[in-house]
Amino acid sequence: MQPGCLTFTGKKAKIAVNLPETPASEQLSDLLARCALRDQRAFATLYQFSSAKLFAVAVRITRRRDWAEEVLQEAFVNIWNHAAGYNSAKSAPMTWMTAIVRNRALDWLRKPREVEIDEEHEELMASIPDESPGPEELLRRSLEAGELAECMKTLTEDQQRSITLAFFYGLSHGELAEQMRKPLGTVKTWIRRGLDRLKGCLDELGR
Amino acid sequence: MRFIDETLREKLAAEYVLGTMSARARRRFEFHLRSNPQLRRAVAHWEARLSPLTEALPAIEPPARVWHAIKVRLRLGQTGRAGFWENLSFWRVSSFASGLMALALVVFIAVPRPEAPVETGRMVVVMNDLATRKPAMTASWEPGQSGGRLLRIRVIGHAEMGPNTAWELWMLPGGDQKPVSLGLITTHETQVVKIPAALAARLDAATGLAMSVEPGGGSPTGLPTGPVLYAGECIKT
Repeated sequence: MQPGCLTFTGKKAKIAVNLPETPASEQLSDLLARCALRDQRAFATLYQFSSAKLFAVAVRITRRRDWAEEVLQEAFVNIWNHAAGYNSAKSAPMTWMTAIVRNRALDWLRKPREVEIDEEHEELMASIPDESPGPEELLRRSLEAGELAECMKTLTEDQQRSITLAFFYGLSHGELAEQMRKPLGTVKTWIRRGLDRLKGCLDELGR
Repeated sequence: MRFIDETLREKLAAEYVLGTMSARARRRFEFHLRSNPQLRRAVAHWEARLSPLTEALPAIEPPARVWHAIKVRLRLGQTGRAGFWENLSFWRVSSFASGLMALALVVFIAVPRPEAPVETGRMVVVMNDLATRKPAMTASWEPGQSGGRLLRIRVIGHAEMGPNTAWELWMLPGGDQKPVSLGLITTHETQVVKIPAALAARLDAATGLAMSVEPGGGSPTGLPTGPVLYAGECIKT
């Protein structure tokens, strides 16, 4: 199915039925190249294809739907404006877009804001349909196959946990220490050693 | 930040991608990122290494208002061509002077010889530098004739091409059609590109032109692979 043949309806059900589960990387690269050439229809199609996946990333990190919506909006404005800088030889399109969403989400979390995390936050959190599994479950699922899986297994449990918590919740070192009830130095060491080992292992496997 | 060794570079890139840096550290890191290609490479590597983690996240459909907000912010979808044009924020540049300059450019191209009356019916494209959003290149030709087209190109200002790279010109046929290469061009201020008859009708109907930076010899795939530097919409004078 040609991506351009689809019309954007904004209706959840229709999109879910019509769209292929994961559009090929090539297809997304092609759409990004056309976005760089200011092709608005390509941009709409790109949004259709990738927004649900990217929104999930934003929700996971910000843990508030309203913030995640802001983040997704920011991210797509960036994607449109910087599409010309995307280089398909250097990174997969989904990796490139996910990094943009993650970075906007992390910036958003680190932004000093007036509204602190409070009951309202908790309430909104509760409104997130949490069929989404916790970080450990996610780690397990995403790691059922692949090299990252093999390498993650070589980490200690604490290293694994601190890395996945940081990745999925955007927690800083300090927040991680608090969350895991461990001294800051300990958490930092877990992360550093865990990442070192991951890199060594993945490099060995040729990633 | 050239002095940082590989170990430190790797450590910082990993922590940046993992997301454990404080706001201040992130800002400082991003500042270095802009000027340090090795650091950018390290970051891209870490993004690729950790990206399998997000693949298992169940998708969540965002509400339609997000897409509407994006369209409003980028001024997309404002009746086709106008939207494109506005998006390049060319005519809408608030300063009167730049508006005049733009007008002067179009008139200049439309009138090859100053003494000739203003020609109408020529196709004109003012391509903006997508980074600075300022006019960087113009192209014009006479549509509707039999045979090929002569594309007159003018590079505005001083432009430099990196070693082992090429500038490739593309026409955008509009709709869902892929860009079509019009061949390599140079950085010379004025040049003429011959367009074969086979492409003439499509060129006349093109919605825009763009220039991308490609490896020496041009795009290996037949589609733009490098960054697009300039783009603009075709208008009929």
